Amino acid sequence: VLYLIWAYIPETWLFSLGLTYWPQKYWAVALPVYLLVAVGIGYVLLFGINMMSTAPLNSTHTITDNYAKKQQQKKFQEEAIPALRDIPISEVNRMFFLPEK
Amino acid sequence: MWEERRFRAACGAPIALRRREHSASCRELSVRGPRLQLRSLSAATSAAWLAAYALFALCQNSMVLSAAIFITLLGLIIYLHFVKIDQESLLVIGSLGIQVTSSYASGKESTTFIEMGQVKDVVINEAIHMHKVIYYLCILLQDPEDPQGVSEVVPLFQSSKPRLDCLIEVYKSCQEILEQRKTAPQSS
Repeated sequence: VLYLIWAYIPETWLFSLGLTYWPQKYWAVALPVYLLVAVGIGYVLLFGINMMSTAPLNSTHTITDNYAKKQQQKKFQEEAIPALRDIPISEVNRMFFLPEK
Repeated sequence: MWEERRFRAACGAPIALRRREHSASCRELSVRGPRLQLRSLSAATSAAWLAAYALFALCQNSMVLSAAIFITLLGLIIYLHFVKIDQESLLVIGSLGIQVTSSYASGKESTTFIEMGQVKDVVINEAIHMHKVIYYLCILLQDPEDPQGVSEVVPLFQSSKPRLDCLIEVYKSCQEILEQRKTAPQSS
């Protein structure tokens, strides 16, 4: 509300009230414009940051990570569902691509 | 000799996979991309020269035209020698190692050899590249300290990104050779 008052009341009236130290009226239009341009650039920036932080094709982060390296192997129990674990990529590949149809 | 099959690259361009079995433990697989098309070359050249002519019409400086010709020629040579890869090949020798060769359009060939002791496995990995998820073949190198770990990933066929059907063919051929090294030490 204060912002609207400041933006719409002419300068001379504000001066007569004694408020000479308030910022120039130029900023009443400039600040929203700055905000909107920043939002627009933020879209592009976010896209760029995402693309830069994707692991490159030759990094080991595409294969494994810290949690997978340190996982403990639970013992195999008969007739029980096997424990959840991160399967190494070689095994996954063999299962997917090797069997003949 | 060479068996050839046609496939498609990730971008849709036609590529050809050629397989050759030199011996029971040695295979050579090579992926050839399309040659530089005359129509794309002439389109790029005409666009560059028309832009230079427009600039010349604006500023009446004839140096712009000769500079454009020079830049076009230089750009073409640099493109053929450093960027345009015609053929990428993989030579897997059972007990020795894996050799990866890239041949450029100008005839330059760049080769990398990885010895079998360092190779942990050859797998098809999927990863995010630019805005898509692509499948690519890669060699996993072994970590000397940790036998279960992977120290490095070497992606193959980077410029002629083949699609999954081509990759499965190459994967099966490589796995046939890599399986032999598990059984070989026991027999010797």
